[in-house]
Amino acid sequence: MQRLACTERGDWRSTAEQCGFDFHTIDGERYWDERAYYAFTLDQIEHQIEQPTSEIDAMCLELVAHAIEDERTLRRLKIPEAFWPLISESWYRDDASLYGRLDLSYDGRGPPKLLEYNADTPTSIFETAVFQWTWLEQAIERQIVPAHADQFNSIHERLIEAWKKLGQGRHLHLAGMTESSEDAGTLAYLEDAARQAGLATTGIDIEDIGWRDDGNFVDLDERTIELAFKLYPWEWMFHDAFGARLIKAPTRWIEPPWKAVLSNKGILALLWEMFPGHPNLLPAYFEDDFLRAQAALFARGRQCRAGLRRRHACEAGRAIWRRGFCAPGAGAAAEFFRSIPGAWELADRPHPLRALNPRGREPDHRQQFAVLAARHPVKTLSASRSPSTARPR
Amino acid sequence: MKRSRRVVLTMMGTAAAGAVSMSFVPRSGCGPGLTVVPGMDGKPYCRATYGGFGGAPHRFHGHGHGHAHGGG
Repeated sequence: MQRLACTERGDWRSTAEQCGFDFHTIDGERYWDERAYYAFTLDQIEHQIEQPTSEIDAMCLELVAHAIEDERTLRRLKIPEAFWPLISESWYRDDASLYGRLDLSYDGRGPPKLLEYNADTPTSIFETAVFQWTWLEQAIERQIVPAHADQFNSIHERLIEAWKKLGQGRHLHLAGMTESSEDAGTLAYLEDAARQAGLATTGIDIEDIGWRDDGNFVDLDERTIELAFKLYPWEWMFHDAFGARLIKAPTRWIEPPWKAVLSNKGILALLWEMFPGHPNLLPAYFEDDFLRAQAALFARGRQCRAGLRRRHACEAGRAIWRRGFCAPGAGAAAEFFRSIPGAWELADRPHPLRALNPRGREPDHRQQFAVLAARHPVKTLSASRSPSTARPR
Repeated sequence: MKRSRRVVLTMMGTAAAGAVSMSFVPRSGCGPGLTVVPGMDGKPYCRATYGGFGGAPHRFHGHGHGHAHGGG
């Protein structure tokens, strides 16, 4: 994997705005950055990102199957007990997932490591699927990149196919916090793809969803919400005013309730417990477990220094893994990785397609979207992002 | 991959943005605590800023009786 500097298109801002990408600059800082791209070999894409992505996904599904049968695990994840039936019913009903994004630390040499799984409300899919592709086409045309450059990118087509399977003739509502231009843009793109898949759609702000006394959620036109995509996290829905009504309402949600397990950062610790030493995982612990392990280390004199180092790393990682979870390896890992490839899970298939430029040592909420591209016979991509709210993405 | 693919948007972008439901992009002009959102008639209207899932004042609906303002 190489980071290659290149010339940016002089008209990229107007190009972005013409296609609805109006959040290319957030809080005065550029989010989209095409002054460099990342080049991968085909082997890196297929064997070092795609294959591990499948493996991580399989581990995650095994974790969900375990969690919904184990109250202790759900308690450790701090998922409210009232919603356990909602989660397990959606799992056993096999409610389908549309997508998710695995953020990996990867330097092109060792195996990629899972930093976090944005399983519930991932953004940046428009930038990845569309604008990154536009960049490649124009960059080739303007001789910014070699004519044989390619991009491992079929998200747009697969998204449309996924909507066809998920829709099944039902009307689709797409809900989120539409005051955020980034969220509105993501919803707009997903709605566009759904319409291309033949679905009838309605966009609605999450707070505009209403409740009718026949037990259905409804939109502003009092249409029953049968199938809804939500760019709004389960953990917030559980605690909001309508949270308790989720349990009996017949609405099918995308992402489904069982994704509430995987969007929880505590899965990093659970995965490490279930698959200790796995090459695609970083050591991660629940805070209490970590402190107990640390106490044991301190008790053994010689290993005290190791304990101190790990505690330091854990504290560094706490900025990422909040609420009682920490990943001691993460802070150190992010220190030397220059990009964070985002590997998408789309309709249960892996698809690597995004890179982030960390501004500091740790992945945070102010990362840029960097283009991923591929040189012949490699693959290339590019882009950048910086979420404007604290919502999990 | 590029030779066989074409990414087309049918709604997003300047050509179509005003014609379909993608009128999400926020506009100003409502004053403090309010925001402009598209109404069902396609015209913008002002409403209170974010209240979460079930957080809007018109959130309860009687079956077949239209909106029940104020939350019943």
